[in-house]
Amino acid sequence: MIEIVLQENGNVSLIGRLDAAQAAVAQDYLDQAGVEFSLDLSGLEYISSAGLGVLLKTHKRLVGAGQGLKLVNVSHHIKDVFKYSGFDKLFTIV
Amino acid sequence: MSLAMFSRSVSELDGIVSFTAQAFTAQHIDSSLRHVIDLVIEELFVNMVKYNVAATSSISIEINGVADGVEVCMIDSDVERFDPTAAATVDIDAPLAERTAGGLGVYLVMKMVDSISYEYKNRSSKITFSKFLESQTGSKT
Repeated sequence: MIEIVLQENGNVSLIGRLDAAQAAVAQDYLDQAGVEFSLDLSGLEYISSAGLGVLLKTHKRLVGAGQGLKLVNVSHHIKDVFKYSGFDKLFTIV
Repeated sequence: MSLAMFSRSVSELDGIVSFTAQAFTAQHIDSSLRHVIDLVIEELFVNMVKYNVAATSSISIEINGVADGVEVCMIDSDVERFDPTAAATVDIDAPLAERTAGGLGVYLVMKMVDSISYEYKNRSSKITFSKFLESQTGSKT
């Protein structure tokens, strides 16, 4: 399951597992989330290619608006998946 | 050995994760391998579901702890051939405008496992892969 939380500072937290069963829920939320926010992944335990697709689509939308998706508090496991997929070169990871 | 059958739906993923957790506990498999095993099973399972939409059979997943690692066998019966080991690669250095999520799942599978084999016989696809602790601490590139 994935839980999506809007923080007081405007950033969005993804908590839980972003897999193929949850990707549509996350995508629907992020499509409505404006163009200036960071994604806090401190609570994200797991991501698969379906989840990467959500991040990629969101990043492209934000880049199109002159911004870009910044990822914060990325765990070791998630960083590994980013590295294998080349996503570490696409995103600003703080 | 841990064996379970799952129906052809991504809604089964939660059940698959629970099954994998139980298999790791029951067979005392090192938990540091869980993340990779969860990811590879999901990617292969979703591909089996996605590329054989006419199929109705359940998909079997067997997990075996081996010395310093784990071996997983997935069987999809009465389906067309789909060999993930022969799938096109992904250009992970492509610029953002050219990147898509297509093919990324199988690409990750091929990068993250230590061995993988595909067999297609009597309309059944059988994929066997393994992951070991030794490679878990290093990084394949």
